[in-house]
Amino acid sequence: MYELLKKVLKPYGPSGNEEAVAQTIRQALEGHVDSIESDVMGNLIAVKKGTDPNGKKVMFSAHMDHIGFIVTGFEKEGFLRVTSVGGVDPSSNQFRHVVFGNGVEGVVVSQPLQPGENRAMKHLFIDIGAQDKAEAEKMVKLGDVAVYAPNVVRLGEHRVASPAMDDRSACAVLLQFLLQAGRYADTIIGVFSVQEEVGCRGAKTASFALAPDVGIALDVTAWGDTPEVDQPAVSLGKGIAVKVMDRASISNPALRDQLMGLAESKGIPYQREVLAFGGTDAGSMQTSRGGIPVCTLSIPCRYVHSALETVDLRDMEAGVQLMLAYMEDGVK
Amino acid sequence: MDVQKILTEASAKVGPSGQEMEVAEYFAGQFRPFVDEVTVDAMFNVIAHKKGTGPRVALFAHMDEIGLMVIAIEEDGSLRLGNVGGVDPRILPASRVWVHGKERLFGTIGAMPPHLMKPEDRKKNYERKDLYVDVGLPVEKVRELVRVGDIVTFNVPATPLLNGQFAAKTMDDRACVAMLVETAERLRKLQCDADVYFVGSTQEEVGSRGAETAAFAIAPDLAIAIDVDHATIPGSRPNTTVELDSLCASIGPFLQPKLLKRLMDCAAAHHVKLQTTVAERNTYTDGDEVSLARDGIPMVLLSLPLKYMHTTVETLDIQALQEGSRLLSHFLSELDAGWEDDLWI
Amino acid sequence: MDLKTLTELRAPSGNEQPLRRALLAEIKAMGLEPKLDRLGNVVVVKPGTQGAGAKRVMLSAHMDEVGLIVANVTEEGFLRPLPIGGVDPRVIISKRVLCGDEAVPGVIGAMAIHLQTPEDRKRVLGYDDIYVDIGAKDKAEAQAQCPMGTYITFDTAYVEFGDGFVSAKALDDRVGCYTLLRVLEGTYPCDVVAVFSSQEEVGCRGAKGAGFAQEPDVALVLEGTTCNDLGKVPQPEQVCAAGAGVAVSFMDRSSIGNKRLFAQALELAQAQAIPFQVKGSVSGGNDAGVIQLARGGVPTLVLSVPCRSIHSPSSVCKLSDVEAQLALTQALLRAM
Repeated sequence: MYELLKKVLKPYGPSGNEEAVAQTIRQALEGHVDSIESDVMGNLIAVKKGTDPNGKKVMFSAHMDHIGFIVTGFEKEGFLRVTSVGGVDPSSNQFRHVVFGNGVEGVVVSQPLQPGENRAMKHLFIDIGAQDKAEAEKMVKLGDVAVYAPNVVRLGEHRVASPAMDDRSACAVLLQFLLQAGRYADTIIGVFSVQEEVGCRGAKTASFALAPDVGIALDVTAWGDTPEVDQPAVSLGKGIAVKVMDRASISNPALRDQLMGLAESKGIPYQREVLAFGGTDAGSMQTSRGGIPVCTLSIPCRYVHSALETVDLRDMEAGVQLMLAYMEDGVK
Repeated sequence: MDVQKILTEASAKVGPSGQEMEVAEYFAGQFRPFVDEVTVDAMFNVIAHKKGTGPRVALFAHMDEIGLMVIAIEEDGSLRLGNVGGVDPRILPASRVWVHGKERLFGTIGAMPPHLMKPEDRKKNYERKDLYVDVGLPVEKVRELVRVGDIVTFNVPATPLLNGQFAAKTMDDRACVAMLVETAERLRKLQCDADVYFVGSTQEEVGSRGAETAAFAIAPDLAIAIDVDHATIPGSRPNTTVELDSLCASIGPFLQPKLLKRLMDCAAAHHVKLQTTVAERNTYTDGDEVSLARDGIPMVLLSLPLKYMHTTVETLDIQALQEGSRLLSHFLSELDAGWEDDLWI
Repeated sequence: MDLKTLTELRAPSGNEQPLRRALLAEIKAMGLEPKLDRLGNVVVVKPGTQGAGAKRVMLSAHMDEVGLIVANVTEEGFLRPLPIGGVDPRVIISKRVLCGDEAVPGVIGAMAIHLQTPEDRKRVLGYDDIYVDIGAKDKAEAQAQCPMGTYITFDTAYVEFGDGFVSAKALDDRVGCYTLLRVLEGTYPCDVVAVFSSQEEVGCRGAKGAGFAQEPDVALVLEGTTCNDLGKVPQPEQVCAAGAGVAVSFMDRSSIGNKRLFAQALELAQAQAIPFQVKGSVSGGNDAGVIQLARGGVPTLVLSVPCRSIHSPSSVCKLSDVEAQLALTQALLRAM
């Protein structure tokens, strides 16, 4: 799992620029599924057909995109002005190493704040080492996006910290699941979706086009196991989290209970998750067309939306096992 | 139809947003005698279809209630709560609740007593973090019966008041679903060509998700949303509320003007008193989502005034509710093929 | 129809009838067949010269403008308005308005500066303080003229001034409507689906239904956009500049411009010497946000005319930017 995770963490892929991630995943899946294609939004869709002609279609969605800094202007001294793509927390960004899609490297810096001022995106700039505006404009263009520079750190035996763990850790889980999956009565549709961080846009159009019967989103969730943090009641290393609700979706009770029941009967570690904020692709899938049952399987992730998002490999393994168990059990 | 009976029964059914199975089953049973077909879909919407050859019209009122959810179990067995929909934390202290664990448990919401508080803290409202549910069981037993994610609903009986007023939880918006049931009943005695769908919708309190998908599935030609609006109470800011005793229609960009005129003309013709209010943008009802399903659906909004919205003592005037079903049944009965002429000119 | 006529027609969101009627007549006079859909969009399909297999390109420009609506009438006969769309209450003090289908004139007054206390002068007037005076003698007369629900527009004449500039109300998005009408005069290899959309300012409602119904392969959104180019503007607050050409968006808060379309637009503009600028801000939203999410997804790109003082009774744009919007739109259509 660690090797697969490292492979999936590597490519550049802020919202709207997910091509390299799709390419990596496509190569890894080639020959292991019945079809792989990209749609007009850039979603990568892998299908493993079911054996039952009356079988159901289960859509699993993990998003490829991650947060970044988009260039909105140039200062005459050659610094870049930026704003956020997705939920970047300006307060955590001072002297951060970032990289653009074309390989240009930079440092995110905050200008001094006035007394009482909170750090906002407008206070940030990126230093790419340009002498002046003209040189900077040759290095990057308006609309180019920088992301936290790749930096995979192994923490202890089971844990890994890196940028883009949201949601590449889930991409790795979906990829591993598709590689291990056998033939089932129902059809598996694995969607590696785009533009989740800017409003779950890819999953919305994909679920309309694919018209699945059931939707399961794979995403990370917040943590409640560090000093002075106890909500949500989810811990790293205690298993895959089965979501009851968040701001974007309420899991279908029967589907949720089926997943938890399977985890219990198969001895797969799992946790129950209620998140007071946030949302996943499940929200987009649930309200597609006439509405479908959905649930989210979450990988507990500390320091979400930072440059060192941290997950536990065992929780990811548990996710794969639970997905396999679900397909074996079949859509109820 | 005994409105008070249906309101009392409906109010007691469990159905926070996303988990409306019990209340859906109840309303499906109420609609069944008056329509051709009743289904409950994947989102738990109740869809009651009265077949016709005329325009396809869908009426939406939501069944889900605001509620609570267990987000943590403390070492002492007390439960911490999260919201399902917009619950005002001021209504929580000393409320009785049902905790829907492996068994249904009686619980009461407690807080630090004022005697132990600093004087300045007594002037503040309780916040969610100060409150807990006491189910009166030892922690081991609690952990056996209750899990994170279990729902918690209010445990309050309905109360008839003077002058036909009626107080109960979940009248937002089950009173309006009851209005639809009564509309279906009245419609049987009227000539009606319209192809009518009555929808008891779900997940309105978290963003009208049920109505959005039901509107897609039904694909109506036109739609009516029925929801509650704030009735005047002592201390209401001027011009922000409506009178309790009569229905209200909204005017604004989201409401189709010709359809609205048709509704107001119908009310005048049948002597149904109708107030108006302005929604300069969103109506914050199912109508917002419904009107944008598929190619777009011309929509109007009819509101039932309600006092104390999102509390456990939501209070309405039963006669206003009955006037609503009278108006809707005539509106449906009189809906002809010409409804769409010059809709936007 | 010229830009003057377009901007002086009155069409607040949800009450676009006068503009809708004028567009229907104009488009019929061009020999085309406009249709109205259930959200009140005016839709015209013009088949391309490629025949079968031609791309179906949706062009969207919104008809509606920001304005006010009467929420209540006071005992003294004043109208209490609420905004239709994003109208900053600070810019409407001391302006003239027209109320309802009968265009009853009114003014938005405020306490004379002589009577204001020092505290009053600092206070920002909000919608709780603002009223429209139509000169009614009492509540009954005001209600008879302008009942609750009456739509109000700014009363601003179109004026050309300076070096090719225009001052008018509703430039957002009559510039787009103007461009779209001119686009319809030409023929293109692709099929053109022109949508004059309703209710953009209250949540892009018209375009949502039209995007679903029209099933386009590609969509171009013709807009007026914010422009903050005068005075000493710090770099992070700059968006685009009036007179610097059509503004092409890589991203706003509702959509990310399709990368291929974005690159193609820039290449075409450079090759054909069409004045253009890249919009240097990720702000606002428009019809592209809903069209891109229609059905299985639609590649979109937003082409805007920079408008100073957008959403105010008197906004400003430069006519050369409108011409550039038209030129780039046509260049893209010819390349589809």
